[in-house]
Amino acid sequence: MSTAAAEQIPGRAEGDGIAARARGLTKAYGSGETAVLALDSVDVDIARGRFTAVMGPSGSGKSTLMHCLAGLDTVSAGQVWLGDTEITGLKDRELTRLRRDRIGFMFQSFNLIPTLNAAENITLPMDIAGQKPDQKWLDQVIDTLGLRERLKHRPAQLSGGQQQRVACARALASRPELIFADEPTGNLDSRAGLEVLGFLREAVDELGQTVVMVTHDPGAAAHSDLVLFLADGRIVDEMERPSAEAVLERMKRFDTARVTFDGGREASGGAGPEGAGGSTAGAGTDGTAPPVGGPAHDGSGGTAPEHAPGDATPDKD
Amino acid sequence: MLKATLRSFLAHKGRLLLSALAIVLSVAFVAGSLIFSDTVTRTFDRLFASTAADVTVEPKNDLKSQLPTGATETVPASLADRLAKVEGVAATHVDASVENAPVVDSANKSVGPTTGAPTIVTNWELTERSPVKLTSGHEPHGADEALLDADTADKKHLGVGDTLTVQAQPGSFRVRIVGIATFTTTNPGAALIFLDTPTAQTKLLGRPGLATSISVDAAKGVDDARLKQRVQAELGSGAYEVKTAEEQAKSSAESLGGFLDVIKYVMLGFAGIAVLVGIFLIVNTFSMLIAQRTRELGLLRALGADRRQVRRSVLTEALLLGLVGSTLGLAAGIGLAVGLIKLMTAFGMNLKSTEMVIGWPTPVAAYVVGVGVTYVAAYLPARRAAAVSPMAALSDAEVAGVGRPLRVRAVVGGVVGAAGAAALAGCAAATKTSTAASLLGLGVVLTLIATVIAGPLLVRPVIRVLGGAFPALFGPVGRMSQRNALRNPRRTGATAAALMVGLALVGGMSVASASMSKSFDQQIDKTLGADFVLQNANFVPFSHEVTDKIRATEGVGLVVRQRFTPVAIKLPDGKRVETTAAAYDPRLDDVAHITYAAGGTAAALGEGGIAMDVNFAKDHDVRIGSTIPVEFPAGRRTELTVGALTDQGGGGFGTQGGLVFGFGTIEKYVPGGQDSALYVNAAPGTSPEKLRPRLEKTLEPYPQVQVRDQADYKKLVHDQIAVLLYLVYALLGLAIVIAVLGVVNTLALSVVERTREIGLLRAIGLGRRQLRRMIRLESVVIAVFGAVLGLALGVVWGVCVQQVLALQGMKALAIPWTTIVAVVIGSAVVGIVAALLPALRASRMNVLTAIAHE
Repeated sequence: MSTAAAEQIPGRAEGDGIAARARGLTKAYGSGETAVLALDSVDVDIARGRFTAVMGPSGSGKSTLMHCLAGLDTVSAGQVWLGDTEITGLKDRELTRLRRDRIGFMFQSFNLIPTLNAAENITLPMDIAGQKPDQKWLDQVIDTLGLRERLKHRPAQLSGGQQQRVACARALASRPELIFADEPTGNLDSRAGLEVLGFLREAVDELGQTVVMVTHDPGAAAHSDLVLFLADGRIVDEMERPSAEAVLERMKRFDTARVTFDGGREASGGAGPEGAGGSTAGAGTDGTAPPVGGPAHDGSGGTAPEHAPGDATPDKD
Repeated sequence: MLKATLRSFLAHKGRLLLSALAIVLSVAFVAGSLIFSDTVTRTFDRLFASTAADVTVEPKNDLKSQLPTGATETVPASLADRLAKVEGVAATHVDASVENAPVVDSANKSVGPTTGAPTIVTNWELTERSPVKLTSGHEPHGADEALLDADTADKKHLGVGDTLTVQAQPGSFRVRIVGIATFTTTNPGAALIFLDTPTAQTKLLGRPGLATSISVDAAKGVDDARLKQRVQAELGSGAYEVKTAEEQAKSSAESLGGFLDVIKYVMLGFAGIAVLVGIFLIVNTFSMLIAQRTRELGLLRALGADRRQVRRSVLTEALLLGLVGSTLGLAAGIGLAVGLIKLMTAFGMNLKSTEMVIGWPTPVAAYVVGVGVTYVAAYLPARRAAAVSPMAALSDAEVAGVGRPLRVRAVVGGVVGAAGAAALAGCAAATKTSTAASLLGLGVVLTLIATVIAGPLLVRPVIRVLGGAFPALFGPVGRMSQRNALRNPRRTGATAAALMVGLALVGGMSVASASMSKSFDQQIDKTLGADFVLQNANFVPFSHEVTDKIRATEGVGLVVRQRFTPVAIKLPDGKRVETTAAAYDPRLDDVAHITYAAGGTAAALGEGGIAMDVNFAKDHDVRIGSTIPVEFPAGRRTELTVGALTDQGGGGFGTQGGLVFGFGTIEKYVPGGQDSALYVNAAPGTSPEKLRPRLEKTLEPYPQVQVRDQADYKKLVHDQIAVLLYLVYALLGLAIVIAVLGVVNTLALSVVERTREIGLLRAIGLGRRQLRRMIRLESVVIAVFGAVLGLALGVVWGVCVQQVLALQGMKALAIPWTTIVAVVIGSAVVGIVAALLPALRASRMNVLTAIAHE
């Protein structure tokens, strides 16, 4: 498995459009008989310059996937790369620096340090690194997010939506290779939520950033370029140019699948409801599941950039 | 409810443990000091009771002085025969015993104890009350034989056959050790040398037929009080002091009591500090526990628990903590007492820890202190807990207490502080020592309370300044740590208060002692004109042989002798004052610079003349030419005429009135006195540098007498003050230990409370080391805040203490800046130490769990 993944490196190196990649990514909690697989040999490529949403029912492993890709969590097996750097096997200090310098984060809540004002929160990762922020870029981010008037405010003086905008600005400020947003709208009312999603969209479209967002809200997922569906630790489907209705429809099928196919059975590909229980789904989404650890860059799996936005025709029924 | 209380107690045992430690420490000091002093008192009571004669006849001596005259008062030995005939007397014994005769071995090394316990040279007469028995050799017979006690022989490597020189007042003499006597009772630490009775009388007291006291044994069936009456009737009233065994034991115990009291008060001082600092720690711990449990308490209230139940639940927890702490403290106190007893053994006092006395007041005091302090300290937090609204269970409210305004504190703190400041200002301006001292006490207490109350208000301004450079120095880590310290001013204030109290005391005492040193220095500079001062340690007088030999030393010019005596004077305003007077040879002006308000040295030291301090004279209507009746020891009296008034700025310490008269007077009225000091000038043509080795050579056989020039003399004074400082530092150490526990407690809680924040910081790239540094810096800023506040308060107190003591002659003010800076730096180190564990805990937190933490 690792050999297979290793062989991918040259290919990936020229495939400049991949921001992050995982091969055979497995995360198990506990051990022996009681072990629970949160991620089961996941292969995934995150395309650079796009807005990817990760969806799935609770317990599907979507947050774990994000944590592993972001170097917040250790993996049980498999490999993860951020750009050219393999992050599996890095020490805590290297992971910390990687997060600091190359990744931006937005969490559902408690995103800001309460003792620091908005401006200080925004530049915090760069301050920690001892780097000078790029003032021009920073101004652009701040203006885009409409935070100019709020810079001196402490988090407690900001509304929930404003707080998330500050978090968004912080994630963007150092121009990271990848921004992870974990349920960024989960705690917001719909208007503020829409605003934040709009900014993330803008960050991708206008500022050329790469965003991965974990969400369970189909409406939020609809703002993305691509939705990855996770179920029981595997990527079972993907949907390009999603609409809220389509995503909702797809999600409903998980629920049905859960009811109908409870217990999980061997299934081909991830397209159908049967995918929910499949064990070899990998990243395959067109019903042509590659073997575990197999090439995933050939257009079948992941979110390879060569997919034109238009040809995203998910197997939605 | 009790079950819930117990559960909560056990659940928070980690945090309570730190509070319990403070209780353990204070209870241990209380219990330890009580056990120790009970044990020592019991031991000595037994010793004195078993060694005192049924009735003792002594020379009458009404005047007591801290400074011995060197003279030995005697009674005629013939009294023994006279009293033997009194009805009810079984036997009488002549005692010839002195404590003022240094004994040296053949190498001129002192045989006496180095601890200040006396060297007693006495006559050998074995009775059933003797504290010793002969264990080797034979009894002393004749002029050159002596016994030595076994402990001293052991310590100084002496044995039968060795030679000793006894420097008695009438003259030195040599004896050979012919036997060893061993203590059958507790050895109080003294060195004992026994001579036969005629030798003791002639060589120690000057001639045969004298005794220092007569011991009278009662016949069977005659009680001591009855016998005392008969003895008194036989002797007539006035000339002699007659004491029963009980009275004798009591007065012996009293003379020892001073030393015991010092130990007791020092220990109680430690207990006091521990209690004081501990209270802050407990208040803070309970406040934090309650803040942490606001929702839980709200839930209890919502479920129907009333306020009283909530309050009682918290107080029960405090009670449990107090009980556990007191029990452990009592055990630790016993250990402490054992340690002290062992320490005493090292000083030559053979106490046995197996004979340890634990009277009933000890456990009672232990539990009263431990439980009482905990209960009182937990009372406010308990009330606050009871005030938690049931709504707290439902709301996602901030930690209780953060948001409440500090207005009440500001008002109360301001009022109390103003009152305290007024009291301190009053004490500085006061002209009478007694008023000044009471104002000082009031001011100290009030300003302390005000600072504690207003502490949280000072957090913001002071920490803004203290941590002002942090962002520049340590970047965002510094900025966050500074702001974290500012986050909950109440908590920061309370945590720092524990440190503040201890450091305020230390600051005050170090200013006072530095001022004392400086004042002495100035006084020495101003008054001491002699090239050398020859003096015994502790002002104990020395044999006139020393004076004779010094005078005969080549290169010695002027020698001025100084002697002390206790006196009682009758003043024109009708007051009788007991004090100590000094006598000098006439050419005092050549060795000392004395400022006179009226008259001069010649008039002061002339025959029948006396001088005193000008202010003392004013207070008591004394003028030049006033006639003052003076009473000397052993009932000798005369009248002296005031010839001069000195203006030495308070007249020195301890000797009220600053009485001075001529050497002739003291020789006449205190016969047999010894010199306390010699002021020596080099003869013309001899440099002091050349003279010094010669003086030292002369003094070789007298190891107790030291040669000091002005610098040595200052050093001696400084060393004596340093003893006080060591005590201060020990107190500081204890205060800091307890305060550290408080800082650890606060930081640990803060880390728990900020789990999510820490998780977030780690997620966005804060390294473990940076995180640890952030917590360390917060700790440092809290500790330094406490130190700055405490030292500021302490310095103000110290200045006021100096102002009060200036009335007693302590004119100079010195603020020991180096000490203060060192303490501030030390407190930063303390902060770092306190942060070790909380920082480690924070840095070990799992990032994901921290983010997900509720």
